[in-house]
Amino acid sequence: MIEPAERMAIRLTVNGREIAREVTARRSLADFLRDDLMLTGTHVGCEHGVCGACTVLVDGRSARSCLLFAVQLDGATVTTIEGLTPPTGLSPLQQAFCDRHAMQCGFCTPGMIVVSTELLEKNPAPTAGEIREALAGQFCMCTGYVNIVKAVEQAAATARGARGEAS
Amino acid sequence: MRPHTLADAVELLSGGDPDVKILAGGQSLVPMLNLRLLRPAVLVDLNGVPGLDTIAPDAGGGLTIGALVRHADLTAAPLVIERAPLLAKAARHVGHAAIRHRGTLGGSLAHADPAAELPAALVALDARFVLEGGKGRRHVSAADFFQGLLTTALGPDEILVEAHVPPQGPGWGFAEIVRRSGDFAVAGVIAHVRRRPGSAVRCDVARLVGFGVGDRPVRFRAAEDLLLSDDDGLSIARVAGAVACDPPDDVHASADYRRHLARILTGDVLGHALERTEGARRS
Amino acid sequence: MSGPWVGAPLPVKEDVRLVAGRGRFIDDLGLPGMLHAAVLRSPHAHARIRSIDARPALAYPGVTAVITGADAARLSGPIRPLIPTTAAVPDYCLAVDVVRYVGEPVAAVAAMDRATAEDALELIRVEYEALPAVVDPYEAMRPGAPLLYPELGTNVVWHDTLSYGDVDAAMARADGVLRERFVIQRYASTPLETFGAMAAYDPGTDGFEFWTNDQRPGLTISILAASLGVPQSRLRLSCPDIGGAFGNKRRPAYLLICALLSRGAGRPVKWIEDRVENLTALMHACNGVMDVELAYRDDGTLLALGVRDVADEGKNLLTPTQHNLIKLGNIANGYRIPAIRYEAWSVLTNKCPSGANRGIGKPFMCFAVERSMAILARRLGLDPAELRLRNYVTAAEMPYTTPPGAQYDSGDYPATLHTALERFDYAGWRAEQSRARQEGRLLGIGIATSVEPAGTNLASYELVTGRRSVSGSAEAAMVRMEPDGNVRVAIGDPASGQGYETVIAQIVADELGLVPEAVSVARGFDSSVSPWLYLSGNYSNKFSVTDVGAIVGAARLVADKLRRLAGHRLEIAPADLDLRDGAVVVRGAPDRRVAFAELCRTAYADVLGLPPGEAPGLEAHHAYQNPLAAPVDADRRVRSQLVFSNAAHCCLVEVHPRTGVVTVLKYVVVHDCGRELNPLIVEGMVHGSTVHGIGAALLEEFRYDEQGQLLTATFLDYLKPTATDVPEIEVDRLEHPSPFTALGAKGVGEGGAIPGPAAVANAVEDALSAFGVTVRELPITPERVWRWIVRDQKS
Repeated sequence: MIEPAERMAIRLTVNGREIAREVTARRSLADFLRDDLMLTGTHVGCEHGVCGACTVLVDGRSARSCLLFAVQLDGATVTTIEGLTPPTGLSPLQQAFCDRHAMQCGFCTPGMIVVSTELLEKNPAPTAGEIREALAGQFCMCTGYVNIVKAVEQAAATARGARGEAS
Repeated sequence: MRPHTLADAVELLSGGDPDVKILAGGQSLVPMLNLRLLRPAVLVDLNGVPGLDTIAPDAGGGLTIGALVRHADLTAAPLVIERAPLLAKAARHVGHAAIRHRGTLGGSLAHADPAAELPAALVALDARFVLEGGKGRRHVSAADFFQGLLTTALGPDEILVEAHVPPQGPGWGFAEIVRRSGDFAVAGVIAHVRRRPGSAVRCDVARLVGFGVGDRPVRFRAAEDLLLSDDDGLSIARVAGAVACDPPDDVHASADYRRHLARILTGDVLGHALERTEGARRS
Repeated sequence: MSGPWVGAPLPVKEDVRLVAGRGRFIDDLGLPGMLHAAVLRSPHAHARIRSIDARPALAYPGVTAVITGADAARLSGPIRPLIPTTAAVPDYCLAVDVVRYVGEPVAAVAAMDRATAEDALELIRVEYEALPAVVDPYEAMRPGAPLLYPELGTNVVWHDTLSYGDVDAAMARADGVLRERFVIQRYASTPLETFGAMAAYDPGTDGFEFWTNDQRPGLTISILAASLGVPQSRLRLSCPDIGGAFGNKRRPAYLLICALLSRGAGRPVKWIEDRVENLTALMHACNGVMDVELAYRDDGTLLALGVRDVADEGKNLLTPTQHNLIKLGNIANGYRIPAIRYEAWSVLTNKCPSGANRGIGKPFMCFAVERSMAILARRLGLDPAELRLRNYVTAAEMPYTTPPGAQYDSGDYPATLHTALERFDYAGWRAEQSRARQEGRLLGIGIATSVEPAGTNLASYELVTGRRSVSGSAEAAMVRMEPDGNVRVAIGDPASGQGYETVIAQIVADELGLVPEAVSVARGFDSSVSPWLYLSGNYSNKFSVTDVGAIVGAARLVADKLRRLAGHRLEIAPADLDLRDGAVVVRGAPDRRVAFAELCRTAYADVLGLPPGEAPGLEAHHAYQNPLAAPVDADRRVRSQLVFSNAAHCCLVEVHPRTGVVTVLKYVVVHDCGRELNPLIVEGMVHGSTVHGIGAALLEEFRYDEQGQLLTATFLDYLKPTATDVPEIEVDRLEHPSPFTALGAKGVGEGGAIPGPAAVANAVEDALSAFGVTVRELPITPERVWRWIVRDQKS
């Protein structure tokens, strides 16, 4: 039986770096990332898994960090928005988001980038409908989604162009 | 607690303490914790127990699916798509990708939300569940497993370990009405039937299962009986008309509306199921 | 790209940090020794607090401070209302003696972390004596209804009739009077980031520092100072990046709670609202009922409009009547209506306090008018576009003052509608609609047009309170050319996604002949650094009308000084000098110039070189109010808002008759916000605001049971639109600059939220025309549609 205040050791890889920490059992992954690792790019919007703001990649697949406990991530690989941002400049997807003004307040944007990254890896040529479906679990209150869809389309086209494929 | 064997997990539940809860995918449980609707003293994390996340073919053409198989894997696994396409389809409608990456079959079944897709799918498939507890292992049919609102046959010290899914016939249909893509269904119906040779509508196996229209998956027995009857003037519309259920009233919909949806969706899925049978017959 | 910069779709500078997750939001901030607060909330809609014992919470390990309502009343003063409709009824940051809505703050705990604080809340023992609750505004108005404030003797904080022109005479001579009742739901704009605050008491100075995503810092600082009994000069308030606001982010009570906890604990205290708290207790737009009487001639000419408006304010003592007043300001919705009467009730009920949201009442006002127009068109056998075209105020008539005093400054409403219909391919879709009907598919086309005011004039509150206390609106800006020749700008209005850092740089770059990269706009707000006034903040679409005036004013002061300094150096009159490419240049002789860097050296370093009478530095502050704001006149007319954009929305829906499900297939917006300062930002606003309108039309509703319990307190039950619920919003524009703003720009932030609900409702009604359905309430849920169809089939 673990007391609420008792801390457990976990080792995980976050954005490519090995991390060893001690956490209480009740610490969510979202709070762990934000408060223990100072990775504040992942945002909390609802804490019940609906709004998608907290979405990160766990072992390569998108997951709600508000619905995971940090202790569950022992041995896992986590990628946050910080890990999807290159050391200098922006990724092509991020650049497309800027080109298209696919954000306004920016609170939903890290989650949108995470899910869009996953979408484009699985489906390099998504239709607008497929993009909307993939993003249906990510709320945005500012943009009305229009420019976000356009940004993902642009990023997909750019990537295909870079690979020498027809658009 | 993160046990490494099933026996250890069962041991942790052995006190029958209601403050000990199983953590699988967490997609239903953790929101309740975050909202302080549940206050377990102990979470038993099953994710470290090996052998619960496999999908294996059965000799009879069916499947054995581990309780920790994620919804995303149900939608994508070739074995499931081939042997239980109805299940793959139902799993695709659970939440969004991020939810499906973590949520598990066992978790969805044990949570038993009456508006959830997977419990109804497994009832339609006449699946059997394997439960492991202090008194050993037992089998419970899907039909018997779901006993009421968020209530199942699981004893306080039992864990749902796997589901045995018999081979699925070609005659199936799935439809639900949701307010938004990925939401819990306002109402949904699954058809799993085997059309009688020589008949347009009559069947010799009939399962019509509603979700969101009762406190658990609901078999539309009267409608099924019509399908199984010898009435040769039978039409899809008549079968749909015989659908009876006692749905809840809540903020999303009234009982009347859900009842209406149950009828029209039954007509739809029955139509699809019969078409699929036709297609299979011809191919 | 090259200048001029205003009007260019410059990429938004803020996006670069936001897309990398490098925004700094309130929950990203912390201080050493910081405690986390949690708030205990009333489980009852209406109850007396018999006793409250917080000692077990204080004794809980990890808890440092606890306060209850009694503490709040002892340690702080009441929160001053913005619209004082009633004799002062004290309202503290925590409930004292009585709770009046589910979720009302009752006590608060500061502990080492949020989870511990929430654990401790459960140990606070509150004994409630439940009182009857009133949740329906009509019930609340009945004699003998449970009273939120017995000392007021009523739940109606305002009831008045404002009459302009002879409505009864117009109705008597009309060919007909359309009478309809419309019911609109409670909803809210729910920014994705919830509200939050951090307070740090400094015992050394007996002062407080606050960090918060409050969108009206000017007002809030004033309230905090008064309640805490500390002069404003000993308060500092900063706003970091704000994750959306839309009017919702303003609840000084929470800052007071943090302040009191911090003072008691001797440590900084942070409180971040969770989503359930946000949906339950922050603020909702008023729900209500509007009875409309529209008098007309058979050719469609409108003669008079009478509206009876019951606004359900919940427990709102801070800004009651705000929705009513703003509806009155917008009542004509772009039409020429000679006589207008508005009877309003502002009613308290035991529900979440109402407050500002995107549109503040205008969506409902527009819904009532545009729905009436659609129904009238059908009644008269007129095309709905034609009916509108016959009644629009035309560009030639502008500036045009509506009977209640709103002034339409510019715009071509007929051209906007024509353009929308063309862009939408109205004729094509009408044909497609007929064709589809034969296949059993129900397509519907909805038109709704609206005006969208910008800027505000708080003098309108005099209509309610009978005296002028606050009035107009104002903003302050600071423009400073630094010693290195780059420019720094700050304003008193904190951004929440509008791209201020970019668009302000564009404006100032144009004024000073620089590139936007040379202009740095301060992020957020800091009361010690930003110029600000009591009326500073983000509200009522004021940026283009008020903030821009301040920014341009300050920039021009700096420009004038640069010209004077250069003129002195070059011995040329300042009027003959231009600012271009980082230098002051003689007009017509571009080789005669002085670089800014040179002038900065004189202004800052080599100050003996300054012309006589000129002070050192190149910094200017300018506070601005738009001259259109004026007091209420003797006939009770007032410009409650100042300039008017307009838009035409055209949408296509499909209604699935068996299930009632409505799908929005196509949506076109043609809008005119005057001069577009940055078209990229503007278009984004149109997209986002329109989706707010669609959400209100089809999905969003706060529902209460009869005991005042909120049934929709999570995002599972309160439904926001997602990417699969809305189509692409296609946008086109006209540009009729306002003659009355510094740069000709008008408002765009509320935009589509205003006509959106009406457009969708009109489309659904059109789809259901065979069933004789009239859409009178929102949201249009599948079940409602199904019932309308069934009811028609039965009758």
